[in-house]
Amino acid sequence: MRKILLITGTVFVLGLIISIPGKKLARDHVNIKTAVTDHPLLCTNCHLHIHKRSPFAGLDKVNYRSPLNLVVSNDGKLIYVAAQDGNALIVANVEEGKVIHEIEVGNKPHTVILDKSGKKAYISNQWSDNVYVIDLREYRITDTLLTGNGPAGMSLSSDEKFLYVVNSYSSDLTIIDLETGIETKRLTMGNNPTGAALSPDGSDLYVTSRRANIAHYGEPLVSELTVVNDKTKRIKAYMGMESAYLMENVAFTPSGDMAVVTLVRPKNMVPSIQVERGFMMTHGIGIVERKENGRIIQLLTDEPNAYYSDPFDIAITPDGKRAFVSNSGVDCITVIDVDSVRSLIAGSTPEMLKLWPDHLGISSSYVIRRIPTGANPKGLALSPDGRTLFVAERLEDRISVISTDKMETIKTIDLGGPRRITVTRHGRRLLNNAGHTFQNQYSCYTCHPDEHEDGLVYNMASKDMGRNITNTQSLRDISDTPPFKWNGKNQTVFKQDGIRFSTVLTRTEPFSYPELDAISSYIMTGIKYPPNLRFNPSGKLTEAQERGKNIFERTKDNLGNIIPENNRCIFCHPAPYYTNLKQVDVKTLSASDDSILFDTPHLNNIYASAPYLHDGRAISLEEIWTLYGKEDKHGLVGDMTKNQLNDLIEYLKSLRSPDYNDKSSEIHEASIYH
Amino acid sequence: MVLSGICLISCGKKSMEGMIIITVADDKISSTDSITGKSWRYVPGSHLYAIDPGKPGNIPESLTENYFSACSPEISFDGKYMLFAAQKNQGDSWQIWEMNLASRKLSPVTSDTENSFDPAYLPGGRLVFSRTIANDSLKSGHTLFTCNTDGTNLQRITFNPHSYSGSSVLKDGRILTIGRQVFPKESSPEMMVLRPDGTKSELFYKSNDEVELLSRSWETSDGKIIFIESDKNNGIRKRLVSISYNRPLHSIVDLSSGIAGDFCSAFPVDPGRLLVTYRTTENENYSLFNFDPVSRELGDQIYKSPDKSILEAVVVREHERQKKLPSEVDAGVKTGLLFCQNIAITGSSSPDNIYSLSAGDKIEIIGVDSSLGVVNVEKDGSFYLKITADMPFKLKIIDAAGKTLFGPGSWIWLRPNERRGCTGCHEDHETVPANRVALAVKNQPVTVPVHRSRIKEKQVELE
Repeated sequence: MRKILLITGTVFVLGLIISIPGKKLARDHVNIKTAVTDHPLLCTNCHLHIHKRSPFAGLDKVNYRSPLNLVVSNDGKLIYVAAQDGNALIVANVEEGKVIHEIEVGNKPHTVILDKSGKKAYISNQWSDNVYVIDLREYRITDTLLTGNGPAGMSLSSDEKFLYVVNSYSSDLTIIDLETGIETKRLTMGNNPTGAALSPDGSDLYVTSRRANIAHYGEPLVSELTVVNDKTKRIKAYMGMESAYLMENVAFTPSGDMAVVTLVRPKNMVPSIQVERGFMMTHGIGIVERKENGRIIQLLTDEPNAYYSDPFDIAITPDGKRAFVSNSGVDCITVIDVDSVRSLIAGSTPEMLKLWPDHLGISSSYVIRRIPTGANPKGLALSPDGRTLFVAERLEDRISVISTDKMETIKTIDLGGPRRITVTRHGRRLLNNAGHTFQNQYSCYTCHPDEHEDGLVYNMASKDMGRNITNTQSLRDISDTPPFKWNGKNQTVFKQDGIRFSTVLTRTEPFSYPELDAISSYIMTGIKYPPNLRFNPSGKLTEAQERGKNIFERTKDNLGNIIPENNRCIFCHPAPYYTNLKQVDVKTLSASDDSILFDTPHLNNIYASAPYLHDGRAISLEEIWTLYGKEDKHGLVGDMTKNQLNDLIEYLKSLRSPDYNDKSSEIHEASIYH
Repeated sequence: MVLSGICLISCGKKSMEGMIIITVADDKISSTDSITGKSWRYVPGSHLYAIDPGKPGNIPESLTENYFSACSPEISFDGKYMLFAAQKNQGDSWQIWEMNLASRKLSPVTSDTENSFDPAYLPGGRLVFSRTIANDSLKSGHTLFTCNTDGTNLQRITFNPHSYSGSSVLKDGRILTIGRQVFPKESSPEMMVLRPDGTKSELFYKSNDEVELLSRSWETSDGKIIFIESDKNNGIRKRLVSISYNRPLHSIVDLSSGIAGDFCSAFPVDPGRLLVTYRTTENENYSLFNFDPVSRELGDQIYKSPDKSILEAVVVREHERQKKLPSEVDAGVKTGLLFCQNIAITGSSSPDNIYSLSAGDKIEIIGVDSSLGVVNVEKDGSFYLKITADMPFKLKIIDAAGKTLFGPGSWIWLRPNERRGCTGCHEDHETVPANRVALAVKNQPVTVPVHRSRIKEKQVELE
């Protein structure tokens, strides 16, 4: 009732104001707030959907399920779904096509796996830093296993005595002894690892990484595929996937002779002067030959005029004949004939194998079908007999069921989320879909995976083609930190993603205003920081962090001299977002940069945003000062001891979203108390 | 009262939704010549008629009886208007007209002494068409122009010695057109694509030199491009073919294989149905048929004229609007930028075709009348040029002694402020650039023509 009265009253009053006498005022108001001159005069656009502190904020909020990954029971009759936004493990009956049970789990569940008996499930809670053990006979949580930061992909050891958990934020692998429930070992993985799979013979665990190894711009881009020996629990190999990143998942052929990963091949070092001819992004698979002197081969799944962006998961049928890849940016499943891949590789010279990763036409020799799905297909699971493929349609809140023989969808299973698509949800769909780039070459997600940033530095070809290279910035929780871009030229998302965005970046028809409203709504209200459970889980700082905080807030140097106000950390980086929203010169312009001032970046969760500075030249927080801040123009640091700088870094790593400072907040509770 | 009057007037003609508009000509079509325009699109005495496929016995309604000739019908996205090319009187130049299909009211779009033809609707109230240019210094044949549907804001968009005709608009918003080099010598026609602002022109489809492209191409709802081509190696049979939008250079399918006779045009109606104009033998006129592209079978005859040929047909209906592409062209800028990542990548994707780069290799930029200069290539095979906009040029690779190693390639041009990239030189059109920093872009671009001093002009920031 309150909602109805509030909305009705406000609409009536605003209607009066905006009618003839107030129209000019309203126009001026909207122009200022949107930073564009032709946005339609519709109060609800901002006050209901975009301003997160508006009295009406949240009135349109509904709770979606957002299935991310899933697994099938041994008899193929049930599916278990990790519902990312529903914070639930959903159990659905395949034949009946409906949900039969739901178990509340931790915050942002990522992956669910079963033990061999099918009686026990493990579900990783990415924002709670733990794994729940669930008895599937009683649908009861029986244990909570502590992990590293951001648990994602999982696998059981071949003897089922250990659980491998990929920690996506701390970039390592937790090995848990299931008898004691205690972590026994932590192994370093690649950058932002997620996918994990054990080879069919049980000998090796493969772990994919999404972000490339941190390197200076211009150095070869390499992402790491890590192999762990299941028997010794030691790292067996670090394999570099060259010129590729966003390796989300891995699967093996039944014989185990090949491991296949999904990947994206970005063109961040090529001037972004066109989209045609694959000048921005290409997508495909990486194949590891598991034999002595085995090669790593990359093949695209794109075509010359059609791109299949954001490959996420891969599943290979038990007969090894077909591989299915979910292309989450174009809402389809790509079907690959595995024998054709083998034939191609066998018939290719080493020189040809070097050409194929950059060849758009070769996919016609092994891609045999594209199966359309609902919005944002993510996790895949095959039935034990391989005849049915289940697809987690994340932004559709349902599972599609595909016949692998007919290669078409035969039914869908609704997961019980709201049927209404809110403006914010529409924006999330747009952000995750490549339909608004020329030939679907990339989505916002591609450069902003998980609405964050991809760790790459791009040649944005501003003015000239070699100038103004740009470090991708995160989209998380930016509503209170305008303006946007490193030079702060875009005051709003409306301007950032408007006509210039389509002219120089997406190079296709611009977003319509309803679409821009939706995108803005999602970016301004729907994207949260993960909790900083690694460096600041409770809000209580460590001693080192406390010392670093004092340095961050200091007014005098080590000799007792007053530090000029504008050269203190806290001056430009005040809480709660640690930015004063101003532009400033910190003397980090390079010869290839135009003369600009830099928009002071916000610092929450800064630990997760390497590399640093506008052109990504600092590959660690330390390098900002040890290599690029020697003139003391980016804060006074010249007097600091090594220990003081370390303390400052520790404090910076502790910075987290103010959402977590409010202990009663929904997001805080979900992460801390699970 | 006024509204009633308007209603009476506008309701005087019945809706044309679902009707088929055909171009009917007296002549038998003996040959095609899209350069001189003496046949095919320029069929004197041709006329447009509307037929109702649901009433096969009805007499076709003449739509252009007040014209001497009319052809090339194109229906707007909302199904309410039609563009066509016409001669008002015998001997007049061909011009573009638009018809309101409800009222049959006609509006001139172009008015010029030169011929304008082959109109196609663009999103945003504009159209593209071909036009001859008298005394063209670029030695072009038919040139592509765009303008508003009322004829205003006329923009030339092609600037090379090619002749363009038979344009249509792809769903992605680009113009698909037939281009044929006319200088220094004529070459076989190729299917080209370019953005409506004339940027990013590139090859879309080309067969071998024995093949002629004979009709306008249409994109189907299931991602195919259909058109008619003749193959000199196959008795000059005019065949109905399709290519895939996704991979046009390597996906041709002869839909009319096994069907004797000639096809003149094809128009997609449904995923499983085309309208085609077809004749069994050269002695017959073309008639209108259904065609099933899945079974590849000729269907029922829809309409046959006792003494005339049906050259082409379109269906009046609302259809999906193509994407409206943004333009990077800035008329205030005098140049465009061209970046090539590695000249060593040439030809097909076979490793045999990778040219071995040598120290001292250069590229020569060749204009219509003279060389525009020679530019050093970086050690990694890259080069980076700032070239006077709207000026045709070719590139060839030469060694340190000036000997030609590869090329010259095709005529290309850059629009003002266009920034364009190539993976290699006349490279395989299916390869993408390697992800590396090219040496050439670490420096300022070389200005072309190289004898000119640095061109000082406004800087445009992209992103």
